[in-house]
Parts: sequence; structure tokens; C-alpha cells
Amino acid sequence: MRTGHYKESVGGLIALSDSKAVWAWTVVLLAALVAAPFLVGAYSLTLMVSALIAVIGAVGLNLLTGTTGLISLGQAGFLAVGAYTNAILLTDYHMPVWVGLPAAGIAGALVSIVVGIPSLRLKGLYLAITTLAFAFIINHIILYAEHVTHGPNGVFVTGAKLFGFGLQRGPALYYLALTLAVATIFAALNLLRTRVGRAWIAIRDHDIAARVMGIDLVRYKLLAFVVSSFIVAVAGALLSLQIRFVNIDVFALILSIEALAIIILGGLGSVAGAVLGAVFLSYLPEAIRLVLSAVIDPASPLYANYVYEIRGIANGLVIVLFLRFKPDGLIGFWRDARKYWSNWPLAY
Amino acid sequence: MDFLALLVSTGLVSGAAYGLIAMGFALIYKSTGVVNFAQGELVMLTAYVSFSLANALGLSFIPLLIVTIPIAMAIGLALERLIIRPMLGEPVFSIVMATVGLAVILRGIVVLIWGSEPLNFPAGLPTKVISIVGVPFYPAQLCLLGALALVTFCAWLFLRFTRLGMAMRAVAANETAALLMGVSVDRIHAAAWMLSAAIAAIAGMLFAINFKLAPDMWFQGLKSFPAVILGGLDSVIGASLAGLIIGVIENLAQGYLGEGMREIAGFVVIIVVLMVRPYGLFGSVDIERV
Repeated sequence: MRTGHYKESVGGLIALSDSKAVWAWTVVLLAALVAAPFLVGAYSLTLMVSALIAVIGAVGLNLLTGTTGLISLGQAGFLAVGAYTNAILLTDYHMPVWVGLPAAGIAGALVSIVVGIPSLRLKGLYLAITTLAFAFIINHIILYAEHVTHGPNGVFVTGAKLFGFGLQRGPALYYLALTLAVATIFAALNLLRTRVGRAWIAIRDHDIAARVMGIDLVRYKLLAFVVSSFIVAVAGALLSLQIRFVNIDVFALILSIEALAIIILGGLGSVAGAVLGAVFLSYLPEAIRLVLSAVIDPASPLYANYVYEIRGIANGLVIVLFLRFKPDGLIGFWRDARKYWSNWPLAY
Repeated sequence: MDFLALLVSTGLVSGAAYGLIAMGFALIYKSTGVVNFAQGELVMLTAYVSFSLANALGLSFIPLLIVTIPIAMAIGLALERLIIRPMLGEPVFSIVMATVGLAVILRGIVVLIWGSEPLNFPAGLPTKVISIVGVPFYPAQLCLLGALALVTFCAWLFLRFTRLGMAMRAVAANETAALLMGVSVDRIHAAAWMLSAAIAAIAGMLFAINFKLAPDMWFQGLKSFPAVILGGLDSVIGASLAGLIIGVIENLAQGYLGEGMREIAGFVVIIVVLMVRPYGLFGSVDIERV
């Protein structure tokens, strides 16, 4: 009798999924996402775009922190680089979006090399502190390089077009974000099946052992930095298209912390976890808003003053509670459920 | 020359605040191996608590300090019990992230309770300018410098001569061995958090009196990171000295290199120190490099 899950070849082990049901449901989900703009209102669509951008950023950060084990508290810096590159190219140099987006990614990757090389010797907390320091330095440079970045005035991003469609509202931006999110997820999943992905996981699990097995730590750590920052910077560029006004205040430390919260919440090291975490944390403020507006009158000044703080507290609570009670994150629930059913009636 | 003296003196004052906050970081790192990202928030919270106490009881500076410190220690103990103790045995990354979460929660709570407007915290200190060798100081600034010296000296005495201090060093050196020698590691962790909160209270009160009491005070915690790193993460005394150095470096950078350099000079120092000498000036040399 076949019990449990057998993989009999290398191909089976590294396949994205061996289950037809998974593929079928993925197709259903994609179809639903493609149809979404026709079914939901403009506000919901805006929320979905935010969630998709968060998905891209979280998958990017997850490659660095979850897969390679390099903790970064500087995500806001890379998002800022991407957002500013895109905004400046579009507004000041009148470049099309299909130049702006890749350029943002490349700019992020280049900056990540600058950050990565001195950080390579460090790991754990030390790396977290260095990346934090770099995020502050990046923000400072953006703020004071006024002739390029408009400094404290920020940059307005308007009139972005792709194939003649106005990109900055409704379905067009949604489809762009959806395409990039799906592409990022598949790229990340496929990357994890390759030599590179396995090298990253080896570095995370034990860097000395990885070195002994012939993995060039410098090269692969730097590669993790570059790939991750490329993706995060593209997310930043999309963010600049969505919020339309890029200002340094957007890229505060709290954004880096939220990014880490997303991947912890979803489950470190898992692409699906990063996606789940991003969607969950994108909708959490909305859920809190709904609950709050049921309790307090939304027009009262009390509400306006405290909604931001309550959102912050909720983020913090989510981080603390998940670390405490469910360290493997949202994806852990799914794994538990799957294990329960595939091992049934044996307890796991 | 006057300009330089002024830069150095004000640098020493803000450096004293960094030094005090950094000592709190170092104390917790030394005995628990965790960087407490909520240290700045702890400083802010205790400063606000002492502000409320000052308003409610109308105490002058020294009695206020005496009332605030036990409350701060209780807060430290509560945080350790609620957030850190249950996570014993988890990877360090998880515990550190828990302190990051704690930081965000504390930040929100402070704004919810005390509002987001900056408050004035005089605490009954005189405001007459005192001139020392031609350099003007406010009494509050001298208090801050004096507090740093006193706390550093007490910390040295405590770690060097008391039973608890020696136990703390033992835990820092080797947790398992300390446990086998009969040191209650749990209690040492709790004591470290309590003492760190006490130092945070002193730092918070003096910072609030010298500068301002506002909900962005938590940022001083991050600004003290350079001092912690320069001193060596696990050196309490080093953190205090490094705080002064960072304060002066920041001011000199602002004065001679240009506007806004104050904000990032410390972070540049972090990167340089971590590249050249990751264990800082006084830290123990056991950072593993690959």
C-alpha cells in the first residue's frame, strides 16, 4: 500500500509540484486574479495592487533573509532606490515605463553590490545592523542630492504609459503588478530548484559546511544580495507608480520592519509563505480599519489620530505572537494540515 | 577654536546620552546574547513615565529619579517575562525580531497614552548657564555627563566586585558552564533586563530634560548603535566611552563636513568599524568570520 509521499527520481524531487491538483488550483487562482478587475470595485483593486507589490518585495527579501539567511534591515533603502530611479527617469527624463522598471531593478542591484561587499564578512545581527546603517545612508544621500532627486520636495510620477495605456490607474497598473508578481514568484521558485538556490540554502544552514562543500561564499552571498535587491527595487518602482508622489518619508525604517514581519509571518524561506504573509499583512490594516470604524466613529478626531498607531501596534503584535506561538508562520498551518491528511489515520 | 570647543562640548553631551543608552544595549547583549532593538523605546517609555510621575507628584530631580528607577526595573522585568523568557531556546534571530516587534508595540502605546505632541520636561533643574573653562554648559547637560560617569563607575564596580555582577560575567562567558556552577541563568537574564531598564530610565529622563520629550525619542536607540558597535557589543564600559566618541564625531562631522552629516556620521562609523574591527574597541574577539 502506498502511504505517504514518494519521490523516486531527482526530477521528481525538484519538480515545482508533482500534484495535478496544485497546478489546477493555481490555474483557477490565476484566472480569478485576471478576472478580478471586472468583478471588484476601484478601491478593492487599489488594495490588490498594494498586496501584489508587497508580494514582489517579500519574495525578493525572502531570497536574501529566508533562503540565504542574511538578515537585512535595509529593505526600505532598496525600495527607495527603485522608486526614485523609476520616478526620476519617468518624470525628469521622460523615459517610458519599460525602461524605468528594469533600470530601477539594475540600480537596486548596483547599490546592493556596494552594500553587499563590505557586509560579506558579517552575519547575523552584525549584518542586520550594517544594512540598517546603509538604509539610513541611502536615505540621507537621496535627501541631500537635491539636483538629482529633488531632495525633500519629492518627485511626482505622472503620465506613465505602457503600449498607450495610462499605467497609473485601475486595471492597467493592476495587470502590470500581477504580471510582475507572477513572474517574480516563478523566477524565485525556479531559482530555488537550481544550483544557486541549493547553494543559498546550504549557506543558511551552515556556512562553514557549505564552504567545505565547495560553495563560493563570497559569490553566492553577493548573488543573493543582487537578486534580492533587483526584485525589491522593482517593487519600489511599482510602488512609485502607485503612490504617484515619491518622498523620502515613505521609506522609513518601519517599512523595513514590515518587510521582515511579512516573511516571518508567512514562514521564513518559503516562497508561498512570503506570498501569504504579504497578502495577510496588506489586508491587516484594512481589517483593523473595519473593526475600528465599527467601534469608533470614523469622523471623530480620535480615530484619525490613533489609526496609524493602532496599525503599528497590530504589526508588532503579529510579529511577536507569530514568533512565540507559530515560528514557522502561516505556511506552517498549511504544512500541518497537509501532513495531517496525508498521514491520516496515523498521528503525526 | 571657540567653534571647536563648542562642537566638542555639545558633542560630549549628546554622546553621554548615547553612552547611557548604549550601556543598556551592551548589558543585555552581554548576558543574554540578544541585541535589544526595543532599547530606544524603553528609554522613551521610562522618560514618559517619569514625566507623568513628575506632574502627578511634583517631585524634584533626585527624588524623581529614585521613584522612576524601580518602576523602570519593573517594566524591564515584565518585558523579559512576557516576551523574552518564553522564547528561550529559539534562534537568536527570532528573539531579536521579537524585540523589534516589541519596539513597534511600545512606540504605538506611548503615542496612544501621551499623544504625539512634544512635551516640555523641566524636572526642576536650574537653567542658569555655568561656564567651565570658557565653555558654557546648562546644569542639565552637566547632570547628563555626571550621570554617565556615575553609571559607568557603578557598572564597573557592579560587574567587578558584586556576586550578581560576577555571575553576569560568568553567564556572558559561557552560559552552560555558568549553569553548571550553580548560577541561575534565568535570573541573570531577568536581572540584566531590569538593570538595563534602570539605565534606560536615567538616560531617558536626562535626554528628555536636555533635549525634548517627543514620541520620536525611540530613534535615539538606533542612533546609539554606533556607540554599541564601536565599544564592542558586549562591553558595558566600552559602550559608555564609545558613546562620547560618537557624540563628538557626529558634531565635528556636522560642523566641518556639512549639513545633515550628524544624522549619518555614526552609521558610517558602524560600517567602518565592522569592516576593520568587528569586535569594536573593547569587545571580546570571538566574532566568527567566513
